[in-house]
Amino acid sequence: MTREAFIIQLCRVFGEEPGSVYVYGRENGWLEQEDELFKEEEINRKTVARILHMYLLKEKEIPDIKDISKAQVLRDLYDCRVCANHVAQIFLTGIMEAKDLAASGGFLWFDLEGKDDLNAIEQYLDNAFEYCDNYKRG
Amino acid sequence: MEGPAPINDKRLRFDAFTSDENTVFPDKKQRLPVMGWNSWNAFGSGNTEALTLEMVRKIKELGLDKLGYEYVVLDDGCYRPERINDRLESDPVKFPSGFKSIADKIHKAGLKFGMYNDIGTKLCSGAEVGIYKHEKNDCEDYINWDIDFIKVDNCYYMWDNATFSNTENARYSYAPNIRSVSIDGKTYSAVNDGIINGSRAASMNDYVTFIGTFDGTAPDHTPTGLRSSELFFEVTVDTPGVYDLIVSYATGAEEGIGSWLQVASGDEIVFDEMLPETESSETFKDSPVIKIKLNAGMNKIRLMNHRRQENTLNSYSEIRKELERSGNGRDIVFSICEWGKTQPQDWGHIVGDSWRILNDITFQVGSDGNPGTAAWECDYTTSITSQYNKAVIMDEYAGLDKGWNDPDMLVIGMDGITETMCISHMAMWCMMNSPLTLGLDLRRVEKDDWICKIIANKDLIALNQDPLGIQAKRIYTSFKTCKDPSKEYIRDNNRVDILAKPLNNGDIALAFFNLSSEDKKESFSISADTIVSALDMIIPVSMKDAFRNASGYMVNNLIDKSSLINNDGLFTVDSIIAYGSVVFRISPLL
Repeated sequence: MTREAFIIQLCRVFGEEPGSVYVYGRENGWLEQEDELFKEEEINRKTVARILHMYLLKEKEIPDIKDISKAQVLRDLYDCRVCANHVAQIFLTGIMEAKDLAASGGFLWFDLEGKDDLNAIEQYLDNAFEYCDNYKRG
Repeated sequence: MEGPAPINDKRLRFDAFTSDENTVFPDKKQRLPVMGWNSWNAFGSGNTEALTLEMVRKIKELGLDKLGYEYVVLDDGCYRPERINDRLESDPVKFPSGFKSIADKIHKAGLKFGMYNDIGTKLCSGAEVGIYKHEKNDCEDYINWDIDFIKVDNCYYMWDNATFSNTENARYSYAPNIRSVSIDGKTYSAVNDGIINGSRAASMNDYVTFIGTFDGTAPDHTPTGLRSSELFFEVTVDTPGVYDLIVSYATGAEEGIGSWLQVASGDEIVFDEMLPETESSETFKDSPVIKIKLNAGMNKIRLMNHRRQENTLNSYSEIRKELERSGNGRDIVFSICEWGKTQPQDWGHIVGDSWRILNDITFQVGSDGNPGTAAWECDYTTSITSQYNKAVIMDEYAGLDKGWNDPDMLVIGMDGITETMCISHMAMWCMMNSPLTLGLDLRRVEKDDWICKIIANKDLIALNQDPLGIQAKRIYTSFKTCKDPSKEYIRDNNRVDILAKPLNNGDIALAFFNLSSEDKKESFSISADTIVSALDMIIPVSMKDAFRNASGYMVNNLIDKSSLINNDGLFTVDSIIAYGSVVFRISPLL
C-alpha cells in the first residue's frame, strides 16, 4: 500500500473526507511533508506507526501512554530516536503487533523498515478505530 | 566497491588523538558550555516557526537570556525533505518565512540561531537532506542563514552501522578475524604469538576477533580507558628492508567482525583497505602481499581497524572545514551528536565544542500541547541517571582547551519526573559542565514558578559557567565495591555520590547526590583535606594550600540558599531525600 492510499483509507475508516487531507493533516501536525512528496512510495511499518500515533494524538486527542517500558521487549525500539515513541504507543495499544523474526533468536522486533500486506494494514486501521472508539467511550 | 575516503591527514588518525596541539582547527575557540533552547524534547519533528518565536518571546520574558541561555536551535523536522536544485530549504508549512527570516528575528531579539544536520545521507527523521556529499553547498547555506550553532547527528551514516544505516556497514568498522600472519615465510599465530591490547578483541578458537572499537551508543560499557583493541606482533629481523606480509583472515559484516584492515609498522600505516570477502567469517584465506618496512631488531607490527573513529572524525571535519571556508571567521558552535558511538571523548576535542556521550535522554519527546515524558532511571540511555552515570567519570576528557561531554538536553519540565529529580538533574549538569540546553515548551513556565526557579538558579549556572572551566570530579561514592570513584562506571543507583569542582576564585563546589529511590538518613561527610587530595592533579598548588590551610569556610547551599561558617573543615550532610541533592559552594576564609 502506498502512503497516499494509507492516508486516504485512514480518513475513510474514521469517516472523514480525504479531499484536502494533506493540508489539514499538516496543519494539525499529524502528517509530514514527506508524506505528500513521497506519496507514491510503499509505506513501511515505522511510517504507519507514526501516522497512526500522531493522528490519534492530534486529531482524536488521545493522550500517550506514559510508561512505555513494556515496549522495551522490542529489540529494535531504540534503533530509531524519532520513531521510538510512535512505535511504542502503537505497539502498547495493540494496534500493531511485533514480529518474531527467526534471525532474532526469539526476540521480538517491530521491523521498522518492513512493509506489510494490504490485509495487515487494513487490520491496523480497524484496530486504531476500535481503540479510539473504546477510549472515547471510557 | 565504494568505501570511506582515504585519510591522508595524519592528524585525523587514531595515533594523533592525544596530541596536545590542535593543528587541524587551530582557530577553534575555547568556550564554556553553551546554554540555550533546542526544539527536540519539546516538540520533536513538530516544531514550527510560530512555536520557535514563542520560545524566543518566553526566553526574553523570563529573563533567561540574561542568565546565559542564548542559543535557539532548530532540531530535526524543520527541512523540506528533499533539496531543490541541490539546496536545502525549510519545510514550507512549518517554517513558511524560511530560515534566514527566523534567524533575523532571533538575532533581533539578541539571541543566537542554531540549526541541525547529519553526517549521513538522511536526517534521523528520514528527510533526504543529510549533509554527506553536500558539505560545500549546505555549509554555504548555513553561513547565508547566519547560523551561530550547528548540531550534527549520525543517522544513515555510510561507514558504520549507525541508526538507520545498513547494519552490514560494520564491515568498515572492524578488522576481519585474524588467524595468523606470515612475514618473509615465517608464520606467527594470532592466538599464540600475537598480543592484544585494550579490552575489545579476544581470542576465539585459533583466531582473534573483535579487532576494532566498542560501540558506545548504549550504556553497556565504560567510557574510560582504551576503548579499542589492536592485535600486534613483535617481530625481530636481522636485516632492515621491505618484507612481504601475508595475513590469514576471514571477513564479516557485523558488529565485531569486519572486512577493513589497517596494518602499521610502529606508527607508519602501510595498509588501510578493504580485504576481499571470504566465504564466511570462519573461512580463512590469505591476503594479497602487503609490503612492510622493518628495521633491524624488534619491530611492532600492528593489525587494527580504527576507522570507526577516524571515519566519523573525518566526516565531522569535512563539515567544519566547509563552515570555516564559507564563514570567513564566523563564530559557530559545533555540537557533535554521534551518541557516543565511536568514543568521541577520544577525538571530539579536535573538531567539536561538545560531543554527545550516549543515545538520547528521552525518546518520548513532546508535541504542541503534550510535554513529553522523561525518566529518572532506566536500563537504556533514556533517563537522567543513565546519562549522569557515564558523564560523571568523563571529566578527564573535558576542558576549556578541549570541549565538553554532552549528556544530552535537559528534560526539566517534562512529565515523569518530580521537582526533586529536576533540581538534581540541573545540579548534575551544572557540576559536570554539560551544555545547558532547555528542552521544554517554555509557555508552560511562569516567572518564579518551580520550573523557572530550577532553570534560572543563578548559583548553579555560575558553577557551569565558571571561567576556570573544569568538570567536577566524583571523589566519593557510597557504592560499596567501588575502588576508584573518579573512574569506575557504576550503574546501580542505590548510592550517594559526592562531586567536587574547583572554581576560578579559589572556591570549591561540593555536590551530594542521592540517586536512589530511598531517603538516605545517615550522614555523609568529607574533609577539606580529602577534597584537595582528590583534586590534586587539576588545581594549582596555591589554591590547594589556601583551601587546605583556611582558618574556616563560608559554606553556601546553592539550592536552599542557606549559609553557615564551618570551622573544622569537615563538610557534612545529615541526610538526603530520595533523588535529592545538596550543593555547597565553599569559600576558604583567611
